[in-house]
Amino acid sequence: MRLRQAALLGWGLLLLGLLLAALGTCIGSAGFENLLRPLLDASADPAERAMALQIVWEIRLPRTLGAWAAGSLLGLAGALAQGLFRNPLADPYLLGSASGASLGVAIALAAVGGGAGMVGGGSMMNGATFSMLSGSVWVRLGLTGAAFAGAVLAVLLTLALARGVGHTLRLLLAGVIVGVVLGAMTSLVLLFSPDSLQAMQAFMLGTTSFVGWTSWGLMFACWCLCMALAAALARVLDGLSLGEATAQTLGLPLAPLRAALVAVLALATGTAVAQTGLIAFVGLAAPHLVRAVLKVPHRQLMWLASLMGGVLLASADLLARWVIAPQELPVGVVTAALGGGYLLWLMHRRSSGLNAGGLL
Amino acid sequence: MKRWLILLLAGCSLWASASAWALTLPDDRGRPVTLARTPQRIVSLLPSLTEMVCQLDQCQRLVGVDRYSTWPESIRQLPRVGGGLDPNIEAIVALRPDLVLAATSSRAAERLVALGIPVLALEPKTHADVQRVLGKVGQVLGVSDAQKIWRQIDAGVSAAAQSLPPSVRQVRVYFEVNRGPYGAGEASFIGETLARLGARNILPASLGPFPKLNPEYIVRANPDVIMIGERNAEGLLQRPGWQGIRAVREGRVCIFPSAESDLLVRPGPRMADGARLMARCLAEKAPGAAKSDPSPVKPSPKTAGGKA
Amino acid sequence: MSAPAYLVRGLGASLGGTPILHQIDLELRAGCWTAVVGPNGAGKSTLLRAIAGLLPCSGQVELLGRELHDWPRQQRARALSWLGQNQSAADDLTVHDVAMLGRLPHQSWLAPASPADLAAVERALRQTQAWDWRERALGELSGGERQRVLLARALAVEAQVLLMDEPLANLDPPHQADWLLLVRELVAAGRSVVSVLHEISIALHADELVVMRQGRIAHHGACHEVATQRALEQVFEHRIAIHALAGQWVALPVTSVT
Repeated sequence: MRLRQAALLGWGLLLLGLLLAALGTCIGSAGFENLLRPLLDASADPAERAMALQIVWEIRLPRTLGAWAAGSLLGLAGALAQGLFRNPLADPYLLGSASGASLGVAIALAAVGGGAGMVGGGSMMNGATFSMLSGSVWVRLGLTGAAFAGAVLAVLLTLALARGVGHTLRLLLAGVIVGVVLGAMTSLVLLFSPDSLQAMQAFMLGTTSFVGWTSWGLMFACWCLCMALAAALARVLDGLSLGEATAQTLGLPLAPLRAALVAVLALATGTAVAQTGLIAFVGLAAPHLVRAVLKVPHRQLMWLASLMGGVLLASADLLARWVIAPQELPVGVVTAALGGGYLLWLMHRRSSGLNAGGLL
Repeated sequence: MKRWLILLLAGCSLWASASAWALTLPDDRGRPVTLARTPQRIVSLLPSLTEMVCQLDQCQRLVGVDRYSTWPESIRQLPRVGGGLDPNIEAIVALRPDLVLAATSSRAAERLVALGIPVLALEPKTHADVQRVLGKVGQVLGVSDAQKIWRQIDAGVSAAAQSLPPSVRQVRVYFEVNRGPYGAGEASFIGETLARLGARNILPASLGPFPKLNPEYIVRANPDVIMIGERNAEGLLQRPGWQGIRAVREGRVCIFPSAESDLLVRPGPRMADGARLMARCLAEKAPGAAKSDPSPVKPSPKTAGGKA
Repeated sequence: MSAPAYLVRGLGASLGGTPILHQIDLELRAGCWTAVVGPNGAGKSTLLRAIAGLLPCSGQVELLGRELHDWPRQQRARALSWLGQNQSAADDLTVHDVAMLGRLPHQSWLAPASPADLAAVERALRQTQAWDWRERALGELSGGERQRVLLARALAVEAQVLLMDEPLANLDPPHQADWLLLVRELVAAGRSVVSVLHEISIALHADELVVMRQGRIAHHGACHEVATQRALEQVFEHRIAIHALAGQWVALPVTSVT
């Protein structure tokens, strides 16, 4: 019975996602405008058709689908993180991937800038250092590559600090430490390259501005891979929910499976962050939003959290583009408002209700 | 007796001239700043203010600058006292300045005033601001004709405008300031310069000075020329839908090297140089330019059409 | 003669550097219910964890005739079921989901629940009288109800050997009685049950008693033997007295000084 409910929710979210994708083709720099009409109308002016086609196909559609894909990745990562750490407050950035990506982007921005704003022979840092970085591998990677590399390296650093995946608590602590330290290093890099501040802020708050078909393709491929792996690993997460000792006696090889979970987490988060920047709250809120409707074990939670995350981010992206067109709000601000507001309302409703169990 | 009288008169006039310099003027925060004498030891915490002081030939009075002031060459020998947003108070005080020039957003002002150092907070944002701030700085430094500098800037911008052939006028320009994308609107000082050069900005004044745009807007506006700094040019060609923009298709993108783009985004006394740079860009790249031979924009060597 | 459920030789284990178990030798017969009793801190839970393979330990442990570490992981999980103390559990899993987790050793990676799994879960839930609320979330249940669900999870494994640490926590007397009947059924079917119990009177229903004290075995023998009962009283420093009552042995605390 519950499986049927889960399937219903899943299909519902999928339909909602498709609806948002369709809506996304109508929202652009002039607010809401339906460009599909000139496309579908055969008698329209060909130049106008060409322009409409270009705008819908090359700009609006990949952006909206990109937001959907990124949200799906983050929702999946959030469900995995909460299962791995057995903590409802876990989010996909807990292993330091967010700070790593930020540091990568900051270094890339500073390096591409050729170290402008640096002081040669000053008391702080040698201007030569940054000019050495320009033209190096950072510049060749481009910003998305730098963000992805930073995220993955940060997770590896966390693993090294925690000395493997044996101890979940140690992993969590290591992730927090790495996050803080890399965040400080990011601030330091930005200090010496203040011209990057505005660009950095755009990254930190998230945007789908430049998501094209290549970006979407990468995210979609990553999602397929991560989903397949997560479906296989869902069992482990359910077993872990009984405690590590019981999970061991149930025959689950904990260490390699935890390592696999961390790898999937890093991959999903790194890809999403590299393409769309740091979008807060989607990873944290999506599993909770699913659980508020329906309580399911991890195997279904993966799918539903992923779909929910996609819908959340897609709708936030639409709002971000619509509200002050042709200017744009940073998408991270809208997700925080949407997701956070909804969770607040839910908590208020529950606390005034009867059920006091669990977070919600 | 006569010698004594002359000495007395000289002393009086000196005293008079000294107290004639006792100056009170409001800064950009609206607070009055009182100076007993002409400041001889000045610390500047904003690059545009540093440049103004030097442009007024008072460079020798600077004893310390912030780490982001890079022009002219002579100030590179001066001690650095931190940045505009995070100045090193101790270093500033150690230089015993009698005036500190800072941005209005600087948090150091309160602290320094409490330590007994007068702070003049000025922040030029538009052409009118630059003129006004030049006047104030000139007044404080006791320079008789600070407006001469403004006239020079003004003349420089006009000359740059006149150097452009009429066929280049009315060209539609998009100036990207930073990734985001943040563009320079009509209301910004960059927009003002472009307007004086006769170009049309695709971003109207209603959007504000530096709006964060939906890239689709730029695609639809289809500018004839794009001006962008080298730092932000990475991945420009790969942005979805941008290949259709006239400026990109026809190779009319001016990519300013870092030193030049720093100059362009600084509202200070070198705005005339900035205008010249923009004029040169238009002369070379705008449609209808005399030697209109736009080189195809070389694709960025960094991204091989990869993740955009 | 079938192999004993457990053959333990020279077992030693430490927790956090402190040695808890010292040179334990033990043979637990198959098809029999053994209760492990002793004062607090005697090392009962540690013993159970050690023979479940959850703790690194020195010495030799053989499960059903094979060295514990020689068992392939999933086979061992099918042969041995462990129910620990103070179990955490995800509050929003349903009762049925939790019980289904006990079938993990029987399921391959990607396959969904088979009819055999569903049947086993139903049997286990009925045995613990939890079948009627199989759709309820774990977080909604009381302590006793929760314990029964966790017990059902351990039963669903349908293992040869069941190790249970404080299985009666939070259970009221009727359900304690139910548990007794359940263990009797399991043993009658040929399973081996080893349980750590604080309730001495319940423990005295077992076939055999292992009395522990300070990390060592003080006595191991049948419950009805006088020697076993004396050893039990001695280990508790004669603060309990064992009496026969209505055909059962009961242990009563000694309050007066005789």
